[in-house]
Amino acid sequence: MEGFGPRVVFTLPIFDGIPITDTVVNTWIIMAILIGFSIIATRSFGKIPRGIQNATEALVDVLNKLTVQTMGEDKVFFAPYIGTLFLFLLLANLWGLIGFRQPTADINTTFGLAILTFVAIHGFGTKRKGVGGYLKGFLQPLPFMLPLNIIGELATPISLAFRLFGNMVGGFIIMALLYGGLTSLSGALGLSFFPVLQAGIPVVFHLYFDLFSGVLQTFIFVMLSMVFISMAMD
Amino acid sequence: MTFLGLVELNWTFFFMIVNFLVLYLVLKKFLFKPVTEFMNNRAKNIEDAFKEAEDKKYEAQALYVDYKDKLDHIKEERTQIIKDATKRAEERSDEIIKAAQQEAKEIIQRANVDIARERQKVINDLKDQISTLAMMAASKVIEKELDEKAHQQLIQQFIDEVGDTTWQN
Repeated sequence: MEGFGPRVVFTLPIFDGIPITDTVVNTWIIMAILIGFSIIATRSFGKIPRGIQNATEALVDVLNKLTVQTMGEDKVFFAPYIGTLFLFLLLANLWGLIGFRQPTADINTTFGLAILTFVAIHGFGTKRKGVGGYLKGFLQPLPFMLPLNIIGELATPISLAFRLFGNMVGGFIIMALLYGGLTSLSGALGLSFFPVLQAGIPVVFHLYFDLFSGVLQTFIFVMLSMVFISMAMD
Repeated sequence: MTFLGLVELNWTFFFMIVNFLVLYLVLKKFLFKPVTEFMNNRAKNIEDAFKEAEDKKYEAQALYVDYKDKLDHIKEERTQIIKDATKRAEERSDEIIKAAQQEAKEIIQRANVDIARERQKVINDLKDQISTLAMMAASKVIEKELDEKAHQQLIQQFIDEVGDTTWQN
């Protein structure tokens, strides 16, 4: 039985060979879609919005407002980061709907994003409060809580990363097993050349594991990132 | 096909961080910043337009009141001017009439003086003529009987009696 890990698409011939997985390739496709969309959608902005401009404005406005509502008016400069995170995670989580492996079903992706959030938490926390004020926060409410606080801070990116990864990879594995099972079942019916049972039945599971879970986990990841960063700054 | 482990950190980790940062920078530059700026500018423009319209309205209101005041003022002024002109004209006509009356009076006075002088002159002339006539008449009547002395005396007497009383006025 083949593993559920990311597949190596090709290997870069430097060092000992850097494997490029389908996670990275799918991310590139998603990036191309998002970048293409941004360039095309903002190319012909008119004074009176029409067509795609309405959708673009609504999208950016929603993301800006979400950031302001969650983080506060003074942290509106996070909107591009939060917006990018939201759009990327949304597309990545829904990537399973078109039959590819979700980039977020890879611990490297989720942990990478979680590390970025971790850096933002501590970077902006230090910047806003000063090094002394920031370090003093680790002794709150009592000095002997220091180890617990450090563990808590380190747990943040891990929990962020594994929550998303677990949900997505779980959905991915279940869908893979389901498709495999349905193929076998079709074979048992003598239809191994045409797995007819794969039509229809997986839709319900896609709805839950990809659509529902994907959107929900996107939202959770983004909201938690915002809350952690703004908490560190306030 | 080779597969990597399901839960292992590898090169993909760095790729994903770089990918995400690139995506962040590009989307920030091409999507979030321009669209947000565009929307903010539009909101500002609309706000400005509304404010300007409001300002213009107030300005128009002020101008309206101003012009209305001016119009009222002009009406008042017009009435005042007409009144002034009428008054001046009346004064002037009074003056002219008065001056004319004065002049007429002076002319009459002068005429009276002239008349008096003329009369005096005529009286004097007449006196002279009468004396001459009387002398002529007398000399005719008593040509031979009177000598030069009586003659002279008679004339003087005549003049004294007649001239002073009869021709006085």
